[in-house]
Amino acid sequence: MNYSMVKTLVLKDWYFQRQAILLAFAGGAVSLGIVCIGGQAAFTIGLILLVTVMVMISAMTVMGNVLGERENQTLAFAMTLPISYVEYTASKILGNLLIFVPFWLTMLVGSLAVILISPAIHGFFAFAIIMAVEILVSTCLMLVVALVSESKGWSITAMVTGNLALNVVGYLVAHLPGIKEGLFGTQIYWTSTATISLAIEFALIALLIGGALHIQSRKRDFI
Amino acid sequence: MHSDIVISQSDGRPMYLQIMEQVKQRVAVGEWAPGEEIPSIRQLAVSLSVSVITVKRAYLELERDGIILTQQGKGSIVAPNPDLAPRLYNEEFSEHLDQVARLGDLLGLSSDEIAHRTKEASNRLNEARFTKETLCKETL
Amino acid sequence: MSALSVQFKAVNKKYPHFALEDIDLELPVGSIMGFIGANGAGKSTTIRILMGLVHQDHGSVQVLGHSMPSDQAAAKLEIGFVSEDMRLYGPATLAWHMDFLRPIYPGWDQRYADKLVQRFDLKPQQKIKGLSHGQRVKAALLLALARRPRLLVLDEPTTGLDPVARHEVLQELMAVLADEDRTILFSSHNTLDVEQISDQITFIDRGRIIDSDNKEAFLDRWRRLRLVLPPDGSIPRLPGVVEVGGSSRLPVLTTNRFEPAMLSACSDLGATVQAVDTMTLEEIFVANVHCRRERLTA
Repeated sequence: MNYSMVKTLVLKDWYFQRQAILLAFAGGAVSLGIVCIGGQAAFTIGLILLVTVMVMISAMTVMGNVLGERENQTLAFAMTLPISYVEYTASKILGNLLIFVPFWLTMLVGSLAVILISPAIHGFFAFAIIMAVEILVSTCLMLVVALVSESKGWSITAMVTGNLALNVVGYLVAHLPGIKEGLFGTQIYWTSTATISLAIEFALIALLIGGALHIQSRKRDFI
Repeated sequence: MHSDIVISQSDGRPMYLQIMEQVKQRVAVGEWAPGEEIPSIRQLAVSLSVSVITVKRAYLELERDGIILTQQGKGSIVAPNPDLAPRLYNEEFSEHLDQVARLGDLLGLSSDEIAHRTKEASNRLNEARFTKETLCKETL
Repeated sequence: MSALSVQFKAVNKKYPHFALEDIDLELPVGSIMGFIGANGAGKSTTIRILMGLVHQDHGSVQVLGHSMPSDQAAAKLEIGFVSEDMRLYGPATLAWHMDFLRPIYPGWDQRYADKLVQRFDLKPQQKIKGLSHGQRVKAALLLALARRPRLLVLDEPTTGLDPVARHEVLQELMAVLADEDRTILFSSHNTLDVEQISDQITFIDRGRIIDSDNKEAFLDRWRRLRLVLPPDGSIPRLPGVVEVGGSSRLPVLTTNRFEPAMLSACSDLGATVQAVDTMTLEEIFVANVHCRRERLTA
């Protein structure tokens, strides 16, 4: 793997997505601010806004970055650089995740901070982490589908699926034995259920990314 | 080394013949002296924007005709042959005569008629030269 | 036998509605090959296989000593590629593209790039999306040339260019060949360009290579003979005749195996040779394709 070329490609992608990235961080900062105002209502609104902004930027960067290359016919230019298709794919995955993850991490840390500051909602700790990672999973899903399918239609389907899954998973997890007891409590409640849920989610992420790299390496027509 | 050869695209003859003719003319007129270095095949190809293979062919034929010499790895020079000029014109003259014969035949002229027409052309040339000389003398 | 910069051996590629069959190609180092074919004949597919952008179904492809597509990253380090359907990044400037490519290619020559900017009359600070078609083509060409590649692969490099720009581009392409270690492969509709600067010419039609030879051989072999037959005369049988046109007393024979001896053969057989026309590359190509397609449908 030519890491130097992968880095060059990632930086190039960031350069072209720079406005979207800035906007996203601005939106995120505002949402976090609202969350920090305090109170149940502000917390909920802020969180919803945060999740919305996150979903939007992940969609924008994936669409612009991954699918845009093919639409704007610049894929040929990228592929005539001294790289293999696997390196190209790796740069797309890395580039997108590196845009998304710091933002995501900020949101996670911010929400956890808010949870930890007010004892009344300590019980949300485990749930918040699991749901945050779930958002990461659904973003990876959309990214991988966009890369492999090269189709706008399928990417949007993946995005919608990811969103729906978020709600479904949220409901399921909130009712899981091992989570639901401590949800509304005033203590951080961590069980093996939580650990297993996280493990499953991270395994899913690894599967999605590994699968994408594998499928891309087997492709025979890049253009 | 930039050559001053100019190629016409509308000239119907093959490119390599045009190049050959231009080289021959330069040698005949004395612009390219015997033994003098001439542009290499690649240099000429680049300056004319013409395939290397075409220039190569022209040079090969020119070498066969004894007009230039190509030294492996050292480029090409005009052959040090003093009888060049008259021989060049002679060749061209023969070529043109062949063409005159062919055209005359197409027009249905007899050999005598063709010879007569050739003499007329020669007379015209002499008349023109005489007129020019007279004009020059008068202006002096 | 000089080294080959590109070698295709029995390359095949099948698509639902099109197939590339038994493609054999040899491109010697230091030469320039023109690739002529109708739209959809397979020029672009062949070039993409050369670049490793498409994986062939069968056959071997060697480019600059590298196997394609497995070794494509190493090969592409020494190749400059410009294609008609390739775009540069619209929101960026030409200067950005030069800065982007410079650290990637060890052979990048910025002085040469600057010279080309002047020559092609481009403005480095202008955004690509604001350029006209001709300027975009020249910009892409500049970026390919400035890395001083050992192999230049061009898909329709002069299409859509005005005559002045075309002339400039052809001159720069020839300038590349001043170095006898560098090779050019270009596909074009513009038979005049191919005829002018190519050393080797390859014709492709409907997924197959129908002829490949050096330019002078092509131009030597093909002739149109205008004959005048006597009232009860018949058309002389000559080798390599691919087309017979004209009228019954004034036939026009197109042959691809011309020899001066044919002329005396004609008059021996009672036919007067009125004219022997050379053929332009375009005429040769069209005659070649017609003959082949007719043979297939017969």
